Amino acid sequence: MSLFVASIGFGLVTAAVLALAAVGFTLQFAVTNVLNLAYGGVMIVSAYAAYLLNEHGVNAWVASLAAIAAGGVLSVALNNVVYTPFQRRGTTPIAMVIVALGMTLILEFGTQAIAGPTNVSLNMSQGATVKLGSIILTVVQLVIIGLSIVVMLLVHGLVRYTRLGKAMRATAANRDLARNCGIRTELVITMTWLISGCLCGLAGATFAMNSGTFGATSTDIFLVLILAAVFLGGPGQPYGAMLGALVIGLATEVSASIIVSDYKDVIAFVILLTMLAVRPSGLLGARA
Amino acid sequence: MVYYITTLMVYAGVDAIACLGLSQQFGVGGVTNFGFIIFQAAGAYAAGVLSLPSDSANGGFQSYILGWNLPFPLPWIGAALVGGLLAIPFAWIVGRRLRGDFAAIGLLVTAVMFNVLVNNYVPLFNGAAGLSLVPSPLQSALNPQSTGYQWGYGAVAILLAFAVYWVVTRLTNSPYGRTLRAMRDNDAVADSLGKNLLALRTSSLIVGGAIAGLSGGILVGFINLWDPQAWGYAETVVLFAAVIIGGLGNHRGAMLGALLVPVAFEEATRYIPPVPNDPNLVPALQWVVIGLLILAFLWFRPQGILPERRRKLATRAAPEDPGLPFAIRTPDDRGAGIPAGAATGPVAIADLPAQSGSEVILECRDLTRSFAGVRAVDGVSMTFERGRLTGIIGPNGAGKSTVLAMLAGTLQPTSGRVLLHGHDVTGLPAYRRARLGLVRTFQLASEFKRLTVLENLVCAIPGQRGETVRGALLGRRYWGAQERDGIERAQRMLERFGLLALADRYAGELSGGQRRLVEIMRALMAEPDVLLLDEPMAGVHPHLAHQLGMALVALCEEGTTVVMVEHELSIMDEFCDPVFVLADGRVLAAGTMEALRAKEEVVEAYLVG
Repeated sequence: MSLFVASIGFGLVTAAVLALAAVGFTLQFAVTNVLNLAYGGVMIVSAYAAYLLNEHGVNAWVASLAAIAAGGVLSVALNNVVYTPFQRRGTTPIAMVIVALGMTLILEFGTQAIAGPTNVSLNMSQGATVKLGSIILTVVQLVIIGLSIVVMLLVHGLVRYTRLGKAMRATAANRDLARNCGIRTELVITMTWLISGCLCGLAGATFAMNSGTFGATSTDIFLVLILAAVFLGGPGQPYGAMLGALVIGLATEVSASIIVSDYKDVIAFVILLTMLAVRPSGLLGARA
Repeated sequence: MVYYITTLMVYAGVDAIACLGLSQQFGVGGVTNFGFIIFQAAGAYAAGVLSLPSDSANGGFQSYILGWNLPFPLPWIGAALVGGLLAIPFAWIVGRRLRGDFAAIGLLVTAVMFNVLVNNYVPLFNGAAGLSLVPSPLQSALNPQSTGYQWGYGAVAILLAFAVYWVVTRLTNSPYGRTLRAMRDNDAVADSLGKNLLALRTSSLIVGGAIAGLSGGILVGFINLWDPQAWGYAETVVLFAAVIIGGLGNHRGAMLGALLVPVAFEEATRYIPPVPNDPNLVPALQWVVIGLLILAFLWFRPQGILPERRRKLATRAAPEDPGLPFAIRTPDDRGAGIPAGAATGPVAIADLPAQSGSEVILECRDLTRSFAGVRAVDGVSMTFERGRLTGIIGPNGAGKSTVLAMLAGTLQPTSGRVLLHGHDVTGLPAYRRARLGLVRTFQLASEFKRLTVLENLVCAIPGQRGETVRGALLGRRYWGAQERDGIERAQRMLERFGLLALADRYAGELSGGQRRLVEIMRALMAEPDVLLLDEPMAGVHPHLAHQLGMALVALCEEGTTVVMVEHELSIMDEFCDPVFVLADGRVLAAGTMEALRAKEEVVEAYLVG
């Protein structure tokens, strides 16, 4: 029983990292209709950016700012230099998936060529352990959860209450119509990729902190979790991604405590396939 | 050195076979199977455990199932069988009505998860350690270490590659291949013409899977190892890169791509001396280059090195004077073949002798469809009688196209029923309705772009003998005669509409009006009882539109029922009776155009000006 309760704690940490990643992914899909499979690659490049500073003695939390910046810049570049030109040419959604897979190879193995094949870890103290009943978490893990909640509230404020958020929603609903209504959709899209890229970078940094060690291809499986969270809530739905992240994060860690931890990601995979088969528009998405 | 060359030969054969399987599945059938490598892995595993003795042999240091110790070539046949069988659960994913890229994600994730399972599940797969000591074929009779055996193995692999090339070429050049390409270009339209997408995709997956399985079997017999690490999802990307670079839809291109990408990049470079202090640098850079190659080709040469071949079917040359593709006949003889009086004023269909007029062929009752709470169609009931050309008009957003889509089965109604020949077909998918004689066209251009005009037409013929895998493999002797008849019918149709000169052009290269005509001709080739046309005259030259109207009237006389959504009221005046007026998702009025023009509410809603 206590193992079960303890796993809820780990589930919340996974959900926190996952929420950062999934909300970024789903925002990108919402405004540009691209399933950016290179997202895991951008995460890992960002994590390495934090690692690089951390190696030179910068505190890991401060170094995370570098990860956020790297994620933002890289994502904007990815969209403006690669995805948008291909889409302008009328590349089909299927071919866009292949483009994204090509970018994944370039990002992940480019990183591996530079950084080497051995896993690295951020140099930081995990802090004291805090007990909340049977839930035992480190200070770092608690900070990650708190950070994620704050960021989710910020995303909520952005999408709901700002002009940019309104423009993002309009662009997501109908890009041509939004442009004809005087919204500078290209700027909105760039801003969305910048913000979602920053989320991706932060996700990369927290992923690195939470998983201890990481390598260039560490996010391959995590990408399955991101996709599961995104499709559970409904692709393009930021609130759906938050809900999806919570469900998937808890489901994987709790199932690890009940079954075998080797197969904990399989539950995410089953949820993803079920959603694709039964309701591809997701729990919070409009029925297609 | 000999070992190096023979190894390259085996890899060339294995990769070529795998790429041919993918080329058939993705290049021809358009099925984006990002789990492709799983099929090769499964085939290799099957060949391994079928040829290995039971797992208690060798001191039981590895665990696996079966262990039947079967003689060659049974393990290879088993490999192909297992690859084909594995396609069935995958078909469940691609068979859904799912955006293509969503389905692709599902398959990719499945591949990643298979890898996780294989790496962790020891009883079945021996976990991350994989299988070793897999016997070489015929190793009791021949010496696998001998040079002769090595050369022989390489030769067999390459011969098998050519055999597979022969099979997939036979499939692709048959009516089955043509239907696959049609589905690849536009699956919704293929569906509306009576093509069973699920069956076509499943057959694509099975054929591709069996080929991939065979390639795995050949590989495992040579390297004697089955290493789960070797079957990561990235390996699938390599094969996709090969097929894209070689040329999508061209099997020779796939073989060339296999030589260029997996063989030249992965295997040949295996012997490049590693960079001192950084043994991982070369392999990592290889992956980067593969990623760059994919992007570069998709950008600069998406058709690949050897583009898909245009298939010319024509059995006779185009007429001497094709004239302008549009000028069919002079206005003077535009009534040729139409009963006297038809060319002037409204066609009085009710007076025509061929009219039975009373037999209801198609009917909908209380049809309703909501989109996110908005009732686009709200309780529409209509009947359509045999041999009539019924019109549907209404302002934008009235629900005309939605009604048409629900009649054809492209869209499921929220509630209400559709009856065809008195039978309830509400639950039937579009392709089943098409097979019952209910065929539609689309409002937006929906030609099969990379099929020639003639292929577009011939493709629509129902019940082609060569349209199944079996029929295709039986060859031209089995389906050739029927094919010739079909081509002649299509050519007569093209002649009638003045497009014979364009028969061998890609449909995607035509003008908007010409494509519209191709689409209508294609629907006619399906010999429908009921033809549903969504704005057939939009973008069509007025002369041609009139010609088309005449042809439709002639069709109705032969007993076909035509339902036409159209904005052009002069067309309605001239040809349609009765006409339904839709507004806000409801039937506002019905009757002859003359009667409708007299009704105030109809004039207000639509006919103003």
